[in-house]
Amino acid sequence: MNEIAKQALENAVGKILGPGSVYWSTDAHNNSYGWVKLCDPESLTRVALPLAQAGARLMTITAYRNDKFSRIEGREIAYHFDLDGVVITVTACVDSDPPKVPSITPWFKNADWNEREFTELYGIEVVGHPNPRRLFLDKELDGDILDRLVPLSTMMNGASTTTLWEKVFAGRQMPDWAKGVKN
Amino acid sequence: MAETYTLPVGPLHVALEEPMYFDIKVEGETVRGLDLTAGHVHRGMEALAMHRNYFQNVTLTERVCSLCSNSHPATYCMAVETLAGIQVPERGLYLRVIADEIKRIASHLFNVGIMAHLVGFDSLFMHAMEVRELMQDAKEGVYGNRMNLGQCTIGGTRTDIDKDAARFLRGQLEALKPQLFELYGVFEKDPLIRTRTQGIGLLSEEEARRHAVVGPVARASGVVYDVRRKAPYATYADLKFEVQSDTAGDVHSRAMLRLRETVESISIIEQCLDQMPEGPVKIEGMVAIPAGESVARNEAPRGELIYFLRADGSDTPQRVKWRVPTYMNWEALQVMMAGCQVADIPLIVNSIDPCISCTER
Repeated sequence: MNEIAKQALENAVGKILGPGSVYWSTDAHNNSYGWVKLCDPESLTRVALPLAQAGARLMTITAYRNDKFSRIEGREIAYHFDLDGVVITVTACVDSDPPKVPSITPWFKNADWNEREFTELYGIEVVGHPNPRRLFLDKELDGDILDRLVPLSTMMNGASTTTLWEKVFAGRQMPDWAKGVKN
Repeated sequence: MAETYTLPVGPLHVALEEPMYFDIKVEGETVRGLDLTAGHVHRGMEALAMHRNYFQNVTLTERVCSLCSNSHPATYCMAVETLAGIQVPERGLYLRVIADEIKRIASHLFNVGIMAHLVGFDSLFMHAMEVRELMQDAKEGVYGNRMNLGQCTIGGTRTDIDKDAARFLRGQLEALKPQLFELYGVFEKDPLIRTRTQGIGLLSEEEARRHAVVGPVARASGVVYDVRRKAPYATYADLKFEVQSDTAGDVHSRAMLRLRETVESISIIEQCLDQMPEGPVKIEGMVAIPAGESVARNEAPRGELIYFLRADGSDTPQRVKWRVPTYMNWEALQVMMAGCQVADIPLIVNSIDPCISCTER
């Protein structure tokens, strides 16, 4: 386990949020994972600078709804960094309406794609992004698809044919729902 | 100033295995700018993963990509195991390493084979694919399948490697060794390969760090980062292997590095077969997955693969996010392609060993 890297990350975050702001966990192989919670997305930019100075590398960014079926409001964004084998996840709550976070591309160039991806999936605006266009989804397609409940049956509708049900109901009256008729 | 024009490459193109659209600004034969448009194989797999239960997701994640199909369920399972505090039996961990390394050999040989094809050296391409066939047969013989091994499950592995299968696997590795050394010699010395690939697609260490590239692309540019060594998982802490690196940072050095990693992988598999203790390969029954979050990482053939799992205590994940190595390497093409010749575009793209199904999910 890399104690030097762990200490460097702890110091970088501690400079802004105060000592003891990182919670550490380990996996079965004794690798360290740090967890930091930010209640204010604006402090992201303040934390990004010391992390970049410490030499941390942004691995990825995960946005998610506090409730995956969107029954309650609230989104969070987890920024995963690595420093020499030690992982630190900085999670920011995004409670504003409309949801907004500052871009961390000035310190981490590779945040570009990650920020574009969560913008198109969750409709979270990234303030100060150098290239705020869609990443994977064509502009003709609906955005914010993970920001609302889309039942699996609806999600699969376009991809299903009636072949399976024709076999299941072979020789019998096929119910309307199996004919692919929209309810 | 000379006039520039736009050269569209893709989304369907003979040099690409999968669809990606490159909008390339060209001045004469020289590349002056590059713009990428992705999303042609975006399947919404992360949305699907949130609707499936923890076990179904093992099967789903194995289908993200074919060439690193074992790395995905292995890392996903590690994330679930870390969250639930599941201790995988040691034999299960060794079996996971074997599966990962077999896939690495097959993946790397595929990539260098394609490079030979793009150079126009088709007999070498066919030879590389024939050598790779030894690993394909090994997969079929040991796991019953040539691409998706179906080996990983939460808490261990699905199948064991018995004495007969182990003997067969050792035989395949023995047959592979001399062929691999011969192949390495050709890739190292052949004037055609060297002319077309040396000094092409340069990525300096500074640029590699700035773009945060991973895997063989990073290691060939002097960023010596391998998850197996930096944050050892499974049984890598007990296995001897050299992390391969280079400083040339060109197309040739990336291919040579992949071939050297293949040699290391053979040694890793042999060590696993020697050291693997007897015992169960997976846990009995299933542990409930508590609410919480975890991160797991794996060194896939193309580099660092990360899974983030967030659970709400139900039988389906609240969120599963994965970032594949290729995702990090695309933007670095801007640097690698700057000032290159049009004819070198496919070679440079291939040198990051792009996986588009992985990138877009």
